[in-house]
Amino acid sequence: MTIIQAADAAGLNELKIPRFCYHPDLPIDGNCRMCLVEVEKMPKLVIACNTPVTDGMVVHTQNDRVKEAVRGVLEFLLINHPVDCPICDQAGECWLQDYYMKHGLYQSRIELGEKIHKRKAVDLGPMVVLDSERCVHCSRCVRFTELVTKTGEMAFFNRGGHVEIGTIENRPVLNPYAGNIADVCPVGALTSRDFRFQSRVWFLKFTDSICNGCSTGCNVRIDHKTGTIYRMVPRRNVDVNKSWMCDEGRLSFHTLETVNRLLAPFAKGPDGQLIETEFNHAVDQMDREIGETVSKKGVGSVIGFGSAGATNESLYLMKRYLTEKHGVNQFEFRLEDEDKKVEEREDDLLRRTDKRSNTQGAIALGFADAALGGINGAAKAASRGDLTAAVMIYHPKLIHDLSGEAKQSLKQFIDSLQFSAILTPVRESWMDGASVLIPIGSWSEEEGTYTNFNRAVQRGGRAFAPKEQAREAREIFAELLGLQRPGYFVTQAEEVFTEMAEKVPAFTGLTYKGLASNNAKVPPPEGRYW
Amino acid sequence: MKNSDFKTINVTERAEAQEKNANPFLETVKGFGFTFKRFLDHVTGAEDHLISYPEEKRPYSNRFRGTHILTVREDGSIKCVACYMCATACPADCISIDAAEHPDKSIEKYAKRFDIDMLRCVFCGFCVDACPEEAIIMSREHEICEYTRDTTIYGIDRLMNRPQAVDMGPGYRPNYPMIESKLPFTPAHPDPDKAGKPVNTTPKKK
Repeated sequence: MTIIQAADAAGLNELKIPRFCYHPDLPIDGNCRMCLVEVEKMPKLVIACNTPVTDGMVVHTQNDRVKEAVRGVLEFLLINHPVDCPICDQAGECWLQDYYMKHGLYQSRIELGEKIHKRKAVDLGPMVVLDSERCVHCSRCVRFTELVTKTGEMAFFNRGGHVEIGTIENRPVLNPYAGNIADVCPVGALTSRDFRFQSRVWFLKFTDSICNGCSTGCNVRIDHKTGTIYRMVPRRNVDVNKSWMCDEGRLSFHTLETVNRLLAPFAKGPDGQLIETEFNHAVDQMDREIGETVSKKGVGSVIGFGSAGATNESLYLMKRYLTEKHGVNQFEFRLEDEDKKVEEREDDLLRRTDKRSNTQGAIALGFADAALGGINGAAKAASRGDLTAAVMIYHPKLIHDLSGEAKQSLKQFIDSLQFSAILTPVRESWMDGASVLIPIGSWSEEEGTYTNFNRAVQRGGRAFAPKEQAREAREIFAELLGLQRPGYFVTQAEEVFTEMAEKVPAFTGLTYKGLASNNAKVPPPEGRYW
Repeated sequence: MKNSDFKTINVTERAEAQEKNANPFLETVKGFGFTFKRFLDHVTGAEDHLISYPEEKRPYSNRFRGTHILTVREDGSIKCVACYMCATACPADCISIDAAEHPDKSIEKYAKRFDIDMLRCVFCGFCVDACPEEAIIMSREHEICEYTRDTTIYGIDRLMNRPQAVDMGPGYRPNYPMIESKLPFTPAHPDPDKAGKPVNTTPKKK
C-alpha cells in the first residue's frame, strides 16, 4: 500500500494529497509530481503514490516545504495552459482550478503571447473531444486505453513543451468504453461530446443510482436539472464496475427522451378505444375487475406479470397485493428468456447480454412460473382461455429495443385477455388492447433496489418526481394495500425493503442502509449453482 | 486631547432653554415666513427645478445601470462566449443562456440564445462585474414599459439593438472606454456624457 492509498483509505478529505496521474483503478505512473510529501528521515520529498508505507513512517503533507513544491509543480503545469476557463466544459470540476485555488494563487510569470499553441477542439470519435493545449500530460487516458480496454488508441506525441496527447492520424476512438476517457481526464483536454456545452456543472444536481442498461448494474451518478437528465457518470464500486461504465449504458438515459411517455391514465371506453381517465378511477377499476374475475372464474385465471426492469420493492408489493387481496398465485416476468441470459457476458469488461437490471431480483421474489415459462407460454394460455385477467408492470429496455417476437407475444397476450391493467411509463402499440393503462415513473423517477447478475442488491436513487400524472409503482400498490401511514404521502422504499427482508427468504439478513457493502447478496435459488 | 478640548452641547438643556424662551406665536410666524419666501423664489424664477419631461430629460451618469447591451467583436459577431458567469452571479436568476459550437475553432463557443427576463432583473450590475469578456454592459436606457408580459423577456436581437439605447448611450461597463469589444450600434452622441437632451438644473440664486 502506498502513502496516497493509505491517506485515501483514512478518508483525509481536508488534507487530501493533490494528484493528477494517480487513479485507484489504473497502474501507478508517478509522472505528475503533484503528490509530493515529506517523509521524516528521507532527504528529498517523495511522491506519495509510489512510496510504500512502512511501520513508524511519519508523513508531512502541509508543511512549508511541501507547499512550495506543490506550488512549483502547479506553476510548471500552467506555463502553457490556455486561458480557456470561460469556454472549457470542465470548469467547476477541473482539478487545475481546484488545486490552483487551494495550493496556487501566485502571480504568473508567463506572458499570454509566449504560450505554446496546440490543436484545439479535435474530433476523436462519437464520445470524446480533444483539446491538446489544456492537457497536463498525466497519461491517465494512455493507461486507460492501454490496460483497461486494451485497445491502445491514445498516445503521446512530440517532446518537451510540445508534447501532445492524441490518436494516430486523429483516428476516432471507437472502443465501447470511450466515454470513460472523458471521465479520467482531470482537466478539460478530453471532454464528453454528448455533454458538450449542455450545462455548467454547478447548475446540476447529483443523484446516486444504478444503471438500468444491463444486468451488470454499474453504479452511476445521474446529473440532472429541473427534471431533465444531462449526463450519467460512473461511481466507483470495486466489486461491480470499478470506475468504468460502457458507452451504451452511459447514453441510455436518452432513450426515455425519444420514446412516447405515458403521462395520464387511460381506460377502455364503450367503443373499445382507450380514453383518458382519472387516476383513482383507473386504479379502482383494476382492483374491482381483478376481484370480480377471481370470484367468477377462480384464482387460476389471473396472472401478475412483473418486469425485469422494475425495482424489487414494486415487484414485492405487487405480489403482496395480488396474493393478499385476491389470492392470485401465478406470476411471470420473462419476455426474452432473461433468466437464461442474466449471467452471460457480452465482452470481457462490463457488458452483459441481459439488458435488464433486475432479473435476479424478479427470480428471487418468485416471479418465474415454471409451468408458463415466459410471455410465450402466458400468451398461449390466454388464447386458450385459461387466463382471463392480468396486472402487468412493463418497463422498456433502455439498450436495444424489445425483440419483434416478444412484442408479438405481448400483443397476443393482451388482446386475448378479457381484462388487463398495465402499469408502465411508456405507451407502445401492443398496449392498445389493454383495458387500463396506469402511468408510473421510469427508472430515474422511482427509488428502489435492483439485484444485479451476481445477485448483489444495490440501491437506485430517485432523481426527480415522476412526470405529470405518473406515480411510483411502489406507491400505487402500497396505497392499495393500505400501507401508507396517516400524514405521509409516500411509502419509503426503505420501509418496504425492511419488510421484504423479513418476509422473503431470499432477502433475509439484508438492511437497506447496508446495501453498499458487497455482502448484500441474495442467495441462489434452490437447486441452482450460480 | 482632553474632554475640555471639545465643545460640548447638552442637547437636553438647549431644548429646554429654547422652549422656555420661545414665543409659540412667533415661531409659527417664522415657519410661515419661510414657506412664503420659498413660494416667492419659485414664482419669481430664482429657483426652477421643474423640467418638461418627456421633451426634456435629465442626463444620467456614465456609470448608470440601465438595460443591458450585448457587445460585439470587430467583425460584428456577438462577443459573448456563453461562460455562464452572468447567469451564475445574477441574484434574481433572470439570465437564460444556451451555448453552441462556434465554427471558428479559436473562438469555439458562443451564445445561441441569451434571454434576460427584465421583470426579474434588479439592475444590480453583477452580470457586468462577473463577465470576463466585456460582453455584457448596461446602457442608460431606463424607460422600458411594455403593454404585455411576453415582450419583457429580451432576446439577443433586442439586447444588441434598441433605439433608446442608441439615444441614451452606454452606461455601466468594466472599462471606460471599452477595451476588448465594441458597441453593436453607433451611439447618437459620440461623447457619452452629452447623451440625452440637456436641461438647466443650476439654480438662478443671486
